Amino acid sequence: MSRATGLRYRRRRVTDVVAKVLGVAATGFGLFWLTWILLVTLSNGVQALTPRIFTQDTPPPGGDGGLANALFGSLEMSLLGVLIGAPLGVAAGTYLAEFAEHRPAWRETIRFVNDILLSAPSIVLGLFVYTIAVRPVGHFSGWAGGLALALIVLPVVVRTTDETLRLVPDIMREAALSLGIPRWKVTVQVLYRAAAPGILTGILLGLARISGETAPLLFTALNNQYAATSLNAPTASVPVVVFQFAMSPYESWHALAWAGAFIVTVFVLLLSVGTRAYLLRNRVDGAA
Amino acid sequence: MARRRPRRGGVPVVSAPPAAIGGLGVDDARTRARAAAETRQDTVFRLVLASSATLVLVVLGAAAISMLWGGRLAFETFGWHFIVSDEWDAVEHRFGAFVPIYGTLVSSAIAMVIAIPVSFGIALFLTEIAPAWMRGPVGAAIELLAGIPSIIYGMWGLFSFVPFMAANVLPWVDHNLGGAPWVGALFRGPPLGIGMLTAGIVLGIMVIPFISSVMRDVFRTVPASLKESAYALGSTTWEVVWQVVLPYTRSAVVGGIFLGLGRALGETMAVTFVLGNAHQLSTSLLMPGNSIAATIANEFTEADSDIYLSSLIALGFLLFIVTFIVLAIARLMLASLARKEGR
Amino acid sequence: MPMDTSVAVPVPAPEKAGAPKLSVRNLDFYYGAYHALKNINLDIPERKVTAIIGPSGCGKSTLLRIFNRIYAAYAGQKATGEVLLDGENILADGYSLNQLRTRVGMVFQRAVPFPLSIYDNVAYGLRHHLKLSRAHMDERVERALREAALWDEVKDKLASSALSLSGGQQQRLCIARAVALRPQVLLLDEPTSALDPIATGRIEQLLADLQDEYTIVIVTHNMQQAARVSSHTAYMFLGEMIEFGVTAELFTRPQRRQTEDYITGRFG
Repeated sequence: MSRATGLRYRRRRVTDVVAKVLGVAATGFGLFWLTWILLVTLSNGVQALTPRIFTQDTPPPGGDGGLANALFGSLEMSLLGVLIGAPLGVAAGTYLAEFAEHRPAWRETIRFVNDILLSAPSIVLGLFVYTIAVRPVGHFSGWAGGLALALIVLPVVVRTTDETLRLVPDIMREAALSLGIPRWKVTVQVLYRAAAPGILTGILLGLARISGETAPLLFTALNNQYAATSLNAPTASVPVVVFQFAMSPYESWHALAWAGAFIVTVFVLLLSVGTRAYLLRNRVDGAA
Repeated sequence: MARRRPRRGGVPVVSAPPAAIGGLGVDDARTRARAAAETRQDTVFRLVLASSATLVLVVLGAAAISMLWGGRLAFETFGWHFIVSDEWDAVEHRFGAFVPIYGTLVSSAIAMVIAIPVSFGIALFLTEIAPAWMRGPVGAAIELLAGIPSIIYGMWGLFSFVPFMAANVLPWVDHNLGGAPWVGALFRGPPLGIGMLTAGIVLGIMVIPFISSVMRDVFRTVPASLKESAYALGSTTWEVVWQVVLPYTRSAVVGGIFLGLGRALGETMAVTFVLGNAHQLSTSLLMPGNSIAATIANEFTEADSDIYLSSLIALGFLLFIVTFIVLAIARLMLASLARKEGR
Repeated sequence: MPMDTSVAVPVPAPEKAGAPKLSVRNLDFYYGAYHALKNINLDIPERKVTAIIGPSGCGKSTLLRIFNRIYAAYAGQKATGEVLLDGENILADGYSLNQLRTRVGMVFQRAVPFPLSIYDNVAYGLRHHLKLSRAHMDERVERALREAALWDEVKDKLASSALSLSGGQQQRLCIARAVALRPQVLLLDEPTSALDPIATGRIEQLLADLQDEYTIVIVTHNMQQAARVSSHTAYMFLGEMIEFGVTAELFTRPQRRQTEDYITGRFG
């Protein structure tokens, strides 16, 4: 080998090694931030965790208290969001996967718009719900908050339902139709059953997503120092309380903010990791 | 010729045509009525599903229209001047979108500068470098970054990262880069901690998992035969990625980048905590600023006049339009790779 | 073995001997613009096994799927001409698809058990179409499983998931599910192509028994299988019906050159 080709080969090797090192470094970089963020959240949160969090309502400025009303409000509005968004999402996803074969342009348009809605800034959706559900009635409410959350759940469920149903082999559809069963029954009794793990995962992932959302609640449900007696009133939620308390100058409020952040993080991460593990074990196409 | 075997299990021979037993297959009024009912059920079912699907379109359209409508007072009052004006005076009722727009664009730009190479490095690692057993867990860990709610990024940002930046990084930046020609003005300033640079870094970290997971997915779709022939010619791993994988997946990679950009532009809570919420324009990245989402989040409940509220909604409309365009481009680019695969 | 006593309608007069069960007249079929089946004419004899053979892409599965109109679930697929089941044209507009499918059942290339128990799989069609007491339902399920030669293997685990069965057992379950409705015609689309030789053999034996009750049409790419199980065979090529006749004669003395070329392995 001549000296020139030896040099060129060495340069290529060096480039290759440098690239690999940089790849490892990039991954380490990402993992470093993840670890730092989780450590800080967990340690600060655990320190602030007391039974009072679950029994007492949010305190006035500088006071001590808990997050009970915020936890309850989050629970209410998240459930509302799922109850509204999930059935609509499953229905829309079913339409896209099963019943739009004669209108491909329409179907692809809806898929396109849904994908955009999926990644749209949640604050924008909050503003939208403000204009249709808060301004007309003149006050903030838990209903509006739930509606905003529903709009975030909707595209997630549409997409996962659509994709999961498309994974069900055609042959299963045909086998059910061949028994003389009407299409709606084939969809509900056979296809949904086959696609259940995937559809359920989509709903749970939607729930995980809305559990940490702050922006859309800021101008829909606003906040409340006490547990709202009805959803018609402004309703507290954990993310909004965390926002309010963290930006304040009070130490006791900061502690509560960390406790809230901790609870939200643990809940969201457990839900995300858990549902993905569940889906991996129950894949619709039978792959392990 | 079919072989005949003796009867097994005593299945009886029936003399009537099989389907007639039990009323199946018989064409009488009852079965015809039933067939009509089933057709009606199918039609209703399809209608319900189609309406739900149409709802998706309606939501997007209604969101756009309602914000345009809510912002019309501001647009009518200020006109095009709204976009370039840097005023923000609640008392004099004069508002302009330039400061928030500037903040949004600059923080997102910083975020992309960080996120794009890092995401590429992570995708490279997970598809080509890491041993097989490591790919799942490490990939899942990176995905966790995407699962962390943005308010957590905000909390960590404000209470941990900002003090760190103020104490360790920003003085260094100001001292060493502040004097550089041309770009020095970007890096000169007091080490407040909060500010454009900090916000850009936090945004960048948030956006990494989105871009890297798209890159990782599309890198995996490159046909093995394509890569193997490159290896067979003596290419190094890096050369295969740079010369084969990346060109093959180019449009999808761009799509992934736009997807990350779309998220960065619209991010609210993380930025609100660390950007400083100052309606001021400065060249220095070390100074606080404002973004569209942060402005809306912070000031919405304080808006005490119609024009104030309308200006905020108008800001929201601008954000919506910009992210819509970015996300549409992202979607189109991602779809073009899927088409190439014949999906 | 209890007899099915739920005869609800009088027995119609028996067909005159030799009348075909299914009659195809001038049938053309299109996948969009692609002309897949060209002027097919064919008579399927009653209570016999008829095999349809031919090389890949010749249209045999396409033809089979017209007999229960399963193609109607897809956009852009169209059939013209007539297909007469006991003299009635099933391609006519007013002919109910769901009714057709109670008269013409289908088994597919791959076993597709529903994600239900073994019992519920077999009972699925029955539950939709009929109102049966628990005892009658049990009878029908047992009969269907016996007809599919599966009863002895599953009688103790009817409540367990259908997915716990082996491939061959699952395919026999699908046969049981189809015959539970007691259709007049049973269509099988390459039913053993995904099975090992032993499972294949069991299903072929099954067909020999089933033809006492049902008119069977089986599509197969395996000529030897056609020779083993069928009494009549149709040979198709490039969307056309080339030859149809008694199996023994078609394989030993084919009348058309094309048939002979295929049978002797000159192509395909």
